[in-house]
Order: sequence, then C-alpha cells, then structure tokens
Amino acid sequence: MKKSGLPIIIIIILFTFSCKQSEKNQKKGIVVLSPEVAEIICALNAENEITGITAECNYPPSLQQKKIVGSFSSIDKEAIIALNPRLIFCSSLEQESIALDLKNLGFQVEVIYPESINAMFSDIERIGTLIRRKEAAEKLVKDLKEEKEKIKANSQGKLRPKVYLEIYRNPLMSVSDSSFVGELIETAGGDNIFPRLERDYARINPEAVISAKPDIMICYSQDTLENIINRKGWQNIPAIQKRKIFFEKDINPDLIQRATPRCIEGMMILAKLFEDWQKEQ
Amino acid sequence: MKKILSPILWLLIGVGIIIAYLTLGKPDTNIITQVRIPRLLLTFFTGMALAGIGSIYQLMLANPLAEPYILGISSGSAFGSILLGISGLIILMPVGGFLGAGLTMLLVWKLAHQKGRFDKSRLLIAGVIAGMFFSAGISLLMYLHQQDTALILGTLMGNLGHIFTTGEWTFFLILTGLSLVILLYLFFQSTTIDILSCGDLYAASLGINVLSLRRKIFILTSIVIGISVSYAGIIGFVGLIIPHIVRFFIPSGQKKIYLLSLWSGGIFLLACDMLAKYLLSMELPVGIITAFIGCPFFMWLLLKKQS
Repeated sequence: MKKSGLPIIIIIILFTFSCKQSEKNQKKGIVVLSPEVAEIICALNAENEITGITAECNYPPSLQQKKIVGSFSSIDKEAIIALNPRLIFCSSLEQESIALDLKNLGFQVEVIYPESINAMFSDIERIGTLIRRKEAAEKLVKDLKEEKEKIKANSQGKLRPKVYLEIYRNPLMSVSDSSFVGELIETAGGDNIFPRLERDYARINPEAVISAKPDIMICYSQDTLENIINRKGWQNIPAIQKRKIFFEKDINPDLIQRATPRCIEGMMILAKLFEDWQKEQ
Repeated sequence: MKKILSPILWLLIGVGIIIAYLTLGKPDTNIITQVRIPRLLLTFFTGMALAGIGSIYQLMLANPLAEPYILGISSGSAFGSILLGISGLIILMPVGGFLGAGLTMLLVWKLAHQKGRFDKSRLLIAGVIAGMFFSAGISLLMYLHQQDTALILGTLMGNLGHIFTTGEWTFFLILTGLSLVILLYLFFQSTTIDILSCGDLYAASLGINVLSLRRKIFILTSIVIGISVSYAGIIGFVGLIIPHIVRFFIPSGQKKIYLLSLWSGGIFLLACDMLAKYLLSMELPVGIITAFIGCPFFMWLLLKKQS
C-alpha cells in the first residue's frame, strides 16, 4: 500500500497541473457548420466574428484561415467546446442530432436550412438579427429581392427551354421544382422537366428524361460529354443533338445549389444560357 | 398430361411477363429498343445467373443455405466497383467489380485448401470471412463518402437501371455472351455435379477428376457472378430461393433443376423489377422487392408441403 501510494499521488499532481485552467471568459465568436450560413454572414460583413467553420465552408476563400471543426457530417464537438462560441449555426439534414447535443451542452444553436428563395430572404434577416447586423441584412435582402424581380421580369413572355439537371448518374437523380435549384431554374426562365418528385432530390427513370425531350441539360454527375452523347436511346434529346450540355466548369454548382446571396449570380448565368437558346430558335 | 402442361404454362407466363416488361406504359420504339431491351437483357441475365449458380452451389457444397454470394465474391465485386464509382470513374465500375470478384475468388480458393487438399467447410468459412471483410470495407467507404450513398446503396440493394453508352453496351454484350457460354458449359456438367454430390470418393471411382472439376466450376461461376454484380449490384434471395422453389416441383435431376432455375430466375427478377419500377412513383431498389416477394412465397410453399 505504501509503495503504490506515492506514484498515485504523483499522477494526481501531474494530472492536475497538466490540465489547462478552463477559461471562465465569456463566450465569444460564432461557429458556422453550414457553408450557406458562412456565406451569408460574410455577405453581412461579419467574417471577423467567425471563429470556427467546417471544411465545406469554402466561400469566400479567406475563410480558410479560420479554425476547421470537422466536416459537414462529421463534427468534432471538442473543437467547438474549446472555441467556446456565443452562437453556433448549423444546417438541418444530418446536422440535427449534433445541434441537439450542442444545445444540451449549453450553447446557443440556430438551425438554418432555407429551402426556397423566400425562405432564404427571411433567414438572412434572422441571421442579421442574431449577429447584430439587422440593418445590413435588411438592405441585402432588399437588393437581392430587386435583382430577383429583374431577372424574373426579364424572362416573362419569352420561350421557356425545358431543362434537365442531373445531379447523379448511377442511379440517375434529378431535382424537383420544390428544391432550391428547381426554383432558380423556373425563376430564370426555364422549365424543369421534373416539376414534382417524391423528394427535392430524387431518383428518376431515364425513360422519363428521353420522353421529356429537354432542350438544355446541366450535368453535375461527373459524367463526360462523350459518354452523355453516347448514352443508348438519348440521341433524340434536343439538348444532346444541339450539344446544349453544361457542366460544373460552365456553371459553378455552388452558385445554384446553395441558398446564398450568390444565387443571384447563378440565376443570371442560367438566364444567359436560356437566352442563348432562345436566340437559336 | 399435367406433366406437359405445367412447363408450357410457365413458359407462357414468362413470355407474358417479358411482353409486359417491354410495353408497359406505352413507350415509343426508341425507348423499347434502346432502353427497355438492354434493361431486360441485364435483368434476365442476372436472374438467370444467380438462380442457376445457386442451384449448383447448393448441390456441390451440400448446403441448402448456399447461394452465389456465399463465397464472398459479391462483396469483393461490390467493393471493387464502389471504389471506382466514388473515385469518379463511374464508367469503369464494372471493371472494378470484375477485378474485385477475381481477387476475392483467388483468396477464398487459396484459403479453402489445407495442405493441398480441398475442404468444403473451409471454403464456406473463408467465403463468409472474405464477405464480412469487404462488407466492412464498403461500410467504411459509405461513412467516408456520404455524398455517394445513392451509388453505394444502389450496388448493395441492386440497381438494374444501369445507363449504357454504346461502347459499354458492346462490352456488356461480349461479357454476357461469355457468361452464356459458361452457363451452357455448366448445363453439360449437370450429371457430373449430380454424381459429385454423392461424395468425392464415389465420384472419383467413376473416373471423374474431382479436384479439377471443382476448381473449374468455382472459377467459371465466379466470373459470371463478378459480371452480374458489376452491372446489377447485389440482388439477394434470387440465388437462394429460386432453386429451392424449383426443387419443390422437380425433386431430383440437376439437368432439369438447372434449366428451370435459369428460366425461373430470369422471369422472377423481371417481374420484381417491374414491381420495383411501378409499385410507387419512385423506383425502389430491386433487392427489396425480391426479398419481400420471394420470402413469403417460399414460406407458403413450405407450409403447403407440410400439409
């Protein structure tokens, strides 16, 4: 007993001194787990308040200097606790359980997942209030609304191309009108060939694409032009016959798949693609 | 009279299912020739290969639970094809599947021998262990690449909606041709397999080179399974249940059992794929349908047999 007593005391002393004294400072800074919210906060000129991000928060590029607390679906909770933020923003989907865990730890957690353009406007205002940038947020929303209306008005009364957006190849997947990107396509003057699907992003039947005869195809499924042209039975599709196939290099998916102020830029590119098609008719 | 009528009836039902498969929903000629016929061939070939090989394995391994996937080849093949799929080489997925199947088969075959002697139980254990290993590998890939869950689930639960490019289609036809030759060869080996099931000593006494025959059959069946998993993913229950159902009607004679298993496997999978496409507005993975239909039907047959 005597022999084992001394090492135990030494271990306890070492352990006590090796632990950093917990900072009893006030919580500060914002941790953002959703790339969309990160973009919105930066658009509101509050980038300096962000202390932690996930690996997917890649815009604006200057965010990369911030502390990375994991990836979108695999968050390092300890890294967040160490940052001791006053506010945490996360998305829904697979982040909901982590949001609950962080709430239980006493953090203020806000879940933001805008599924439509209007929801994005109200979420920008909500974020503005939460990060004390209310006026900037209201101004940003006003500007964005104006831009959106301009794009919408510009597309009125014009011939609408049928648009097919492929987000996955094996199995084939596309988007419905109720998805964010589906709404952007419609607003920019195109007709999504799958207005209704069981989910916003769902598996589709290739026969339905062939029968719908889309005029424009946007391909985010990593397939190549050569393969698409050679797909069996797809040769009668106007988009393929006239090579109206666009890839990530033509239109950055983040511009139309993320609900951020940059979606206006995305809509403008879409509108430009549609206009080019209209001129050829 | 009944003996002649039943096969003819089953043949007619099969032809009916094939016609329905091609014409349901009134598609135009382009869709029938370019989309439906390729899918029909892939589905029929997969069902045929699974059920036929299942009937051979059950006999050769003297195990009613044996099925084409039991030797771990399917998991190896799925792992190979998923690995290439998530690396962005979707078009090369069948090649990955084929390589995965080949390597797994070599490994399992090596493990099945003890001091140069083949052992049935060692083969089964080695197969199950290899299967588990590659399943863990697939789970790891799924965890690391959550954005590709659809592709991984498609491979694990069966995906008959493979989109062929013209070049790929020619390649698939060549592989299917090769598989059909193998399946035909296996048909001609039916009598020998029947004899083999009575024991190695008995078979050897009749002049059969047991070791070489067994090696040939396992290598050839692995090639066919590798091809099927590469294009259609893993479709459970067909290889297990169809041969058993066939044996309810034809208790013995591998030749007949094998032929009927080939036809019934193909037709059953076609019917399941039709249901998977049209049951809900969203296409379901066909592996779910095969299990949902195959299992209750099998239970009903068991009960009927009892009474």
